[in-house]
Amino acid sequence: MPELRRDPITGRWVIVNKEAPFTPKDFEVVHDEFKGEENCPFCYGHEHMTPPEIEAIRPEGGAPNSPGWKVRVVPNKFPALKIEGELDKRGEGVYDKSRGIGAHEVIIDSPHHYKGLSELEEEEIQFVIDMYLSRSLDLRKDRRFRYILIFKNFGSIAGSSLEHGHSQLIALPMVPKNVREELKGAARYIGYHERCIFCDIISQERGNGERIIFQNRYFIAFCPLFGRFPFEVWIIPVNHNCDFGFMPQEEKPYLASILKQTMGRIKEVLDNPPYNYIIHTCPVNIIEMPGGYHWHIEIMPKLNRVAGFEWGSGFYVVQTPPEEAAKYLRKELSV
Amino acid sequence: MPELRKDPIIGRWVIISTERGKRPHDFKKVEEPAENPAECPFCAGREDSTPPEILALRSQGKPNGPGWQVRVIPSISPFLKRDAELWRKGIGLFDLIGARGSHDVVIETPQHIANMADLDSSQIEAVFSAYIQRTKELEKDEAIKYVLIFKNYGYKAGGSKIRHSRSQIIATPVNLKRVKEELEGARRYYDYHERCIFCDIIRQELEDGRRVVLEEDGIVAITPFAPRFPFEVWILPKKHRPDFSRIDEEEKKNLAVVLKKILTKLKSLLNDPPYNYVFHTAPFRREHKGYWTTIEDDYHWHIEIIPRLTQVAGFEWGTGFYICPVPSEEAAKYLREEK
Repeated sequence: MPELRRDPITGRWVIVNKEAPFTPKDFEVVHDEFKGEENCPFCYGHEHMTPPEIEAIRPEGGAPNSPGWKVRVVPNKFPALKIEGELDKRGEGVYDKSRGIGAHEVIIDSPHHYKGLSELEEEEIQFVIDMYLSRSLDLRKDRRFRYILIFKNFGSIAGSSLEHGHSQLIALPMVPKNVREELKGAARYIGYHERCIFCDIISQERGNGERIIFQNRYFIAFCPLFGRFPFEVWIIPVNHNCDFGFMPQEEKPYLASILKQTMGRIKEVLDNPPYNYIIHTCPVNIIEMPGGYHWHIEIMPKLNRVAGFEWGSGFYVVQTPPEEAAKYLRKELSV
Repeated sequence: MPELRKDPIIGRWVIISTERGKRPHDFKKVEEPAENPAECPFCAGREDSTPPEILALRSQGKPNGPGWQVRVIPSISPFLKRDAELWRKGIGLFDLIGARGSHDVVIETPQHIANMADLDSSQIEAVFSAYIQRTKELEKDEAIKYVLIFKNYGYKAGGSKIRHSRSQIIATPVNLKRVKEELEGARRYYDYHERCIFCDIIRQELEDGRRVVLEEDGIVAITPFAPRFPFEVWILPKKHRPDFSRIDEEEKKNLAVVLKKILTKLKSLLNDPPYNYVFHTAPFRREHKGYWTTIEDDYHWHIEIIPRLTQVAGFEWGTGFYICPVPSEEAAKYLREEK
């Protein structure tokens, strides 16, 4: 029988198809054809094709906006938000609006045109993480910003228009709705139980093991019981920490390692699917931080078309139960 | 300059991105997979290729034979089942329940027509009648809390390869998150103002006029102030009413005319785009402890139509924060001018 499961953080219900679960082969994975590096603004030697860089990692030195970098950050050429100006919040009858102030940056993960995240060396992935951290710490100095959102779109149906591996960062002057809901849910839980809900999920998942894919000293990668999408995977630090920006140094190599393993496994088992990942972390520059939040990464392979039902209701149908998805991703079930 | 706008009902912010500003013809024509109409199981005369009907509007003929105008059948791959037991259990901190409910398909026409825009408004009216009859039937099951009526038109919008016009009705044993957020937002507003927020929106939009697509016979079509998607349209009845299933004959007729006009405008302006529509209506109300007594005043049913023109990226999923490349005032202007 199908089953309804509830996300204990936000209260969202999902329907899990347990009767005729989809295997990785049942999804129509959309692949893009490579366009090549010739006109790629993110390749070495093409630095002039992007706006001037904001920051870059150049262990061997070299001038800004020239080759030799490991990770490079540039402003988005078509920014959704603008960095200059005041918010100028105002009302219009029942409505509220403000000017679109914010930062919108592109983080070029590596100089390699054809390499996905899992094909980078762990050391290279560490550079990417270094850059995420550095941008997060730098942008929060701007007191107008309340949230720093770091995410990655891979593949055209996941919203990426350029094939060279990159991540994006958006600094927002307000806390986005889903984050507010997560914070509220986590605060409610800690208020009653005096424990972090994410820590409780981690200990329950570790005790049970069914949905865990990888774990190392500081992180676990697992398919959450209440995930919205088939093969959704979370990577979460085992030690409680609400702010990604303040990740302890010693955790970094372990994050790089589990990211490489997880993304590599998703690529292998699901035939290189388009995906999005998002770093969920606490807001910045707010006076009173609600307790009980715990940063993590949510990885969502784009395997099916989300239809009207999901949009209208916030109610998702998951074609592969997370327990089975985890088995495939652990390679206990073959595709 | 881009603008940030807040949906006044549920408090979601959207970015209206002027940098990425787009006009209707900037959106690429969405290709549909090839179909063979001869294989369509939904056309008149092929009633035996679907599960037996639950309901049909017919002037002649026997059940599961031709002669119907609108036909409702169970989905062949239902998410939720009428005969499922509504068990509840907890596993540690997680809650699970049995998938009791139902999942029906409404075949909107006996002819092989893909887009509801191409049906006569009297046919659309009959579709509404089927929605209403079915909702009232489902209301009798105490386990059902909500009935969701929606449509996926086109492959990209979640439709199947067979393009025969139809919609779906899903009955759920839980209140849906999105619906709850709207109800809560509407209640918060009503608590303070003692007015319905939707009524206030309608009043403000009609006075302002920039986002009105059309207004006739008590039905208003607007592009919302804080749209998630380009060319998103809401259809609202001016008469305050929480439930779609309680509309009167006159409203039903007028609503069909307006829905047809809006779908036709979207079709011609945007090159027959995939779209979804969702009926937003109040949940069933049954007296029990903690019963929400103010829904009658708070909530106002309406239809939301979303053309599927853009890819929704990780950003939107993760945050519930959307980037819309077309300001609603411009979308409304294009739609007003379109036939």
